[in-house]
Amino acid sequence: MKSVVLIATLIFTLSLTAQTPYEKGMNKAFSLWEQQKNTEAAQLFERIASVEKDNWLPSYYVGLIEIISSFGLKDEALLNTKLTRAKEFLDSASAISKDNPEIMISYALLNTAYIAFDGAKYGMTLSGENVAIYQKAQAIAPNNPRVLLGKTEWDMGTAKFFGKSTAPYCEDIERAIDLFEAEEQAIPYYPYSGIERAKEISNNCKKETSPK
Amino acid sequence: MKTNLFLLLTFFCYNLFGQSTISGKIIDQQGVPIIGANVYLNGTYDGTATTDDGTFSFETTSTGIQTLIASFISFETYSKTAEIGNFKNITIKLKDDVNALDAVTVNAGTFNAGDNAKVTALKPLDIVTTAGALGDFVGALQTLPGTSNVAEDGRLFVRGGGAEETQIFVDGMRVFTPYSPSANNIPVRGRLSPFLFKGIAFSTGGYSAEYGQALSSVLLLNSIDQPQEEKTEISVMTVGLGLGNTQKWKKSSLSLNTSYINLAPYQKLYPDNNEWHKPVESIGGEAVYRYKFNNEGLLKVYGAYSSADFDLTQEDINVADGVRFGLKNENLYINASYQDFMKKDWSIHTGVSFARDRSVIKLNEANITDIENSAHLKLVFKKYFSSRYKLNFGAEYFLTNFKEDYQDSSFANKFKFNNNIFSSFIETDVFFSKKFAAKVGLRGEHSELLQEFTLSPRLSLAYKAGENSQFSLAYGEFFQNPTNQYLKFNSDFKAENTTHYIANYQYSKNKQIFRAEAYYKNYGNLVKYDTLFVLPTSTFNNTGSGFAKGLDIFWRDNKTIKNTEYWMSYSYLDTKRDYQNYLTSATPDFASKHNASLVVKRWIEDWKSQLGLSYNYASGRTYTDPNKGGFLTEQAKSFNSLNVNYAYLISPQKILYLSVSNVLGTKNVNGYQYADQPNMDGVFNRRTITPAADRFFFIGFFWTISDNKNDNQLDQL
Repeated sequence: MKSVVLIATLIFTLSLTAQTPYEKGMNKAFSLWEQQKNTEAAQLFERIASVEKDNWLPSYYVGLIEIISSFGLKDEALLNTKLTRAKEFLDSASAISKDNPEIMISYALLNTAYIAFDGAKYGMTLSGENVAIYQKAQAIAPNNPRVLLGKTEWDMGTAKFFGKSTAPYCEDIERAIDLFEAEEQAIPYYPYSGIERAKEISNNCKKETSPK
Repeated sequence: MKTNLFLLLTFFCYNLFGQSTISGKIIDQQGVPIIGANVYLNGTYDGTATTDDGTFSFETTSTGIQTLIASFISFETYSKTAEIGNFKNITIKLKDDVNALDAVTVNAGTFNAGDNAKVTALKPLDIVTTAGALGDFVGALQTLPGTSNVAEDGRLFVRGGGAEETQIFVDGMRVFTPYSPSANNIPVRGRLSPFLFKGIAFSTGGYSAEYGQALSSVLLLNSIDQPQEEKTEISVMTVGLGLGNTQKWKKSSLSLNTSYINLAPYQKLYPDNNEWHKPVESIGGEAVYRYKFNNEGLLKVYGAYSSADFDLTQEDINVADGVRFGLKNENLYINASYQDFMKKDWSIHTGVSFARDRSVIKLNEANITDIENSAHLKLVFKKYFSSRYKLNFGAEYFLTNFKEDYQDSSFANKFKFNNNIFSSFIETDVFFSKKFAAKVGLRGEHSELLQEFTLSPRLSLAYKAGENSQFSLAYGEFFQNPTNQYLKFNSDFKAENTTHYIANYQYSKNKQIFRAEAYYKNYGNLVKYDTLFVLPTSTFNNTGSGFAKGLDIFWRDNKTIKNTEYWMSYSYLDTKRDYQNYLTSATPDFASKHNASLVVKRWIEDWKSQLGLSYNYASGRTYTDPNKGGFLTEQAKSFNSLNVNYAYLISPQKILYLSVSNVLGTKNVNGYQYADQPNMDGVFNRRTITPAADRFFFIGFFWTISDNKNDNQLDQL
């Protein structure tokens, strides 16, 4: 389970056309995030969220940044503070957009951050919760490549933990790549990312199909 | 070109409407500047982060009444609504977030287990994976300091108190008969399955005013709100079989568990020192139904039924053929609770629990039937004024109806009583800062049977001295009505009482916890009687008294050795009592001066196994030797037990579990029984009371069937 580390990279293009304040803000936030200025990026997303009350994306990104930046922390107090804050923002994002698979899998990522910190303390309750989240997300969005990727990575982590072969899951990774490629990227700032991660796992799959 | 034009245009617009500057400084409560705090006008894109000296400045085109927000991680978010001109050179003081993990916790006397606890002495899994605990929910708690090892009893003995001084609550509701009955000298087991709970708080003293009728300790168990998935669980064990099933619907869920235990095959293979006519056979079932209402309200109904039966003859120095003891017990327990959040930060918690326990006992020629019906009704309101100030208050009613029918060849009698108690409490939690907090409560109880009203003040304080350390103090008065064995013969009593004084130091850093707690307890109004046994003809009074003082040390380390967790506890106890039929003030035979435990768990990745080990030590307990005179002046030999367990994950859903208690086969002594009459040489003969068997083996196979291929019953072991 500790092997589950997710690196989110977001690709966006700065358009040279006239920007609305929303676009300007979002672009700036993404560029801060790209420069590893996590706090500044999260703060800007937080400010955008205070204006865009019907848009789940800014709150979602505040949560996501807090979650990703809490992997690898050694201080439980700080981890808990960051993840509690992340949860607040995910909660407000899902209040705007109910049953949104992207937000749902972020909750699973949040749980994974706790489990990665201390599997014995958080694993028992949260790993079951994650399985339930992925099942529900898959029922809602069977063709969402990120849901499939997240679920497959989770299953692979578990298989690895129990010394089982991860080969059967490689098929799902290939399917996720196909879904990524077929995805229509129509909504601006939507978290379409993940294909690089999927390709990376796919390469590993080709290298070693079984742990033994 | 387009951008330039746009910039030009916006610049023009800004100029048209005019700009104002928002500026100031953000500091914490000590006046230290906060760097990197987020400051903005709510609902606008205008804002910035504070610089290295805590100052900020930004421009806005907004006018009129606006709300300024300042937020920073681990501080409470600040907001102020005012005319925009007021936000110039403003100084904002952010308050510490008292809910943060590094804030002080009021915890003198209490050990917490569970995800939500800030400092966890035990993890949820520890309850079931501690070697020697044998799946009993109290087993792991007996490795915590403050408990005395009484191997032949199995219940919790806390800080010089008897087992009946500890009360157990599930979701705030009392569990009246938490243990399955057993014969003399054979430890009892808890009735509740450990996997029902997500959190446990074990208080060894100084607990909240919400709980009463417990002189020494309360054990608070919180059941899980929602099971994660549908599944079927099958257990095959050397001592019996188990079957469980969970069903989930959109808003509700139902879990059913049944178990059948029969010790006959085990006792054929490993006979113990009792002569069993009918080895323990028990059948039990439990069901939990949970329903979540649209408005966040949650209803939980738990019901359990069990029936147990055994018959044996035990050695007795005064009875040549031994004492025959048979028991048939039926127990029904229902616990329903409802929790809901209401407007204006009020919440309500209400519940009812009911227990019916019927035992038919055959003791030599005597037939005894005991029927106890008990109920607990409770209503609690909580008001959350802010994260710094909370209030809760409520009322509860305990009803107990006890009947005993006693018959032997020469005597027959019926005894009964009603013991109803009404209580109410009020308690407040105050955080003066992130470093200093207090809990102040008051509890009043009125006993209808004893015609008595008691008032118990409770107070706890906690002060965070450093980044990782804190000091706590607790004081409280505690009352408890005398137990059924006295009330069935007499009701002219006062409630027994204790006063607790506790001082605690705790250091916790990075998966390591050190805790030291010193306490003093003063007992008063203890029941005394003047006969060898409690009899209808005994004369009773309330003049008993006693004290207990000691030091409890706990150390847990999950960090130093990779894949290994361990904890150590040590308790020093100095206690004396003059109660029951004691001739003088003496140390009771259940209290040992020194108790120590070491628990180690190691996960071996290559073997997919968890290896567990626990070692328990208790110094010798007191006994009376009539050959030497004196009362409880002798000391038996010390108790030692090394337990091991091994869990092997065959696949994610199949587990093989092995456990051996007292693997070294140490010959422990539970006490001595002396003859009533001296022999011809004028010496009282004695019999050594040893455990029924030196070792106990357990092998089980657990299989979970669910859609999720990763779930298993590890949490049940």
